[in-house]
Amino acid sequence: MDARLEKALEFSNYMATLNNQRRILHEKFIENSVHYLNGGKFSVDRELINFCSTLKQNDQTSAILIDDNNTPVEIEDLDKFLDDILDIYFTNTYEYLNQYNEIKNKRSVKDLIDL
Amino acid sequence: MSRGVLLIASNNEQIDYIKQAVFCAKQIKAHLGLDVCLATDNVKYLETAYPFYKSYIDQIVELEYYNTSQIKTYHDGIYAQKKLPWKNHYRVKCYNLTPYEETIVMDTDFIVNNDVLLNCFDYNEDFLIYKSYKDLNPNRVEHSFEKVSDRSIDMVWATVFYFKKSKLSEFYFDLVNHIYDNWSYYRLIYQIPNVNFRNDYAFSIAIHILNGFQRADWPKNLPGNFWTTTDADILYEYKDTSMKFLLENTQDRGQFYAGKILDGNVHVMNKFSLNRIIDEVLVNE
Repeated sequence: MDARLEKALEFSNYMATLNNQRRILHEKFIENSVHYLNGGKFSVDRELINFCSTLKQNDQTSAILIDDNNTPVEIEDLDKFLDDILDIYFTNTYEYLNQYNEIKNKRSVKDLIDL
Repeated sequence: MSRGVLLIASNNEQIDYIKQAVFCAKQIKAHLGLDVCLATDNVKYLETAYPFYKSYIDQIVELEYYNTSQIKTYHDGIYAQKKLPWKNHYRVKCYNLTPYEETIVMDTDFIVNNDVLLNCFDYNEDFLIYKSYKDLNPNRVEHSFEKVSDRSIDMVWATVFYFKKSKLSEFYFDLVNHIYDNWSYYRLIYQIPNVNFRNDYAFSIAIHILNGFQRADWPKNLPGNFWTTTDADILYEYKDTSMKFLLENTQDRGQFYAGKILDGNVHVMNKFSLNRIIDEVLVNE
């Protein structure tokens, strides 16, 4: 095989593995960024955080939120809910960043998978 | 209200599902901390081959042994395959088999590596099941995982599900049993080419019927990601909560990609590679 093609194929295998590991990390981040409360499931993202902050700024202490399954859920203590989702957001983004940086610096399939 | 996990295991000549159940129970204890009940048709084998099982399995339900004419092809990677009996008929009886009020039923080849499933107890739902999956192999397009057949209904995964003893759950499992009893009929109606009874299909058909023969929101998804691999992939290392796989390269037959997942719950369809790994994990028990 032409050495140039062989090198390219080797790199392509590395990229395929890297992209898959990034995808798995991202899915894990999404899985962990969920707050379960009162039978509801809330994906913690910027939209939810923003919405809850807006409610709080408008002096709301409780609210009814529509969860990921389109179920209305009563949140009795909005302050606590906001604290909880912020905690989930910061914990998970921090972990995601660390793990992302860890694989970013690995330059071979062997290193990526810790073979 | 009592809560626990129900596992069902019936060995065939080559695949030790009971060994898988012991390992699965070990994972459940470590990550979910729930009671585990094993329903099996070979209690004697469990007791002699795995005398340490009581550390992980709290209750046993003895099932009547039966022979099946149902044969399935089991792969071990791309090139190795065996045709073996496939005993999957007790799954439909889980409503009456479980000793718990709230039960998670799990295939023995589902490896628990986190506690996300505990959230199902807070959902206030009678029945939860995975309606979608995530393939660890990003290049594979497996249409048979989406629908029960090409022109038929959406598929749900009977690999893991939750139910609470209630009128609705009883009603649902009665219907699943009816579909099982009349499988030849329902298989034709839902255009399923394979003659084998498959729980995923029976559960999907029952959901379709109960939803008024329409696609609907009921039941809700179980919490967390449902990662899956096929029997064309090979599990080659398991340590703590890290699983490493050789994932089939669908564009270059016989070649693999390496893949690793940390803290993820994974359905390992390659029973042979799973059993090899379990041998390593249970060696010091």
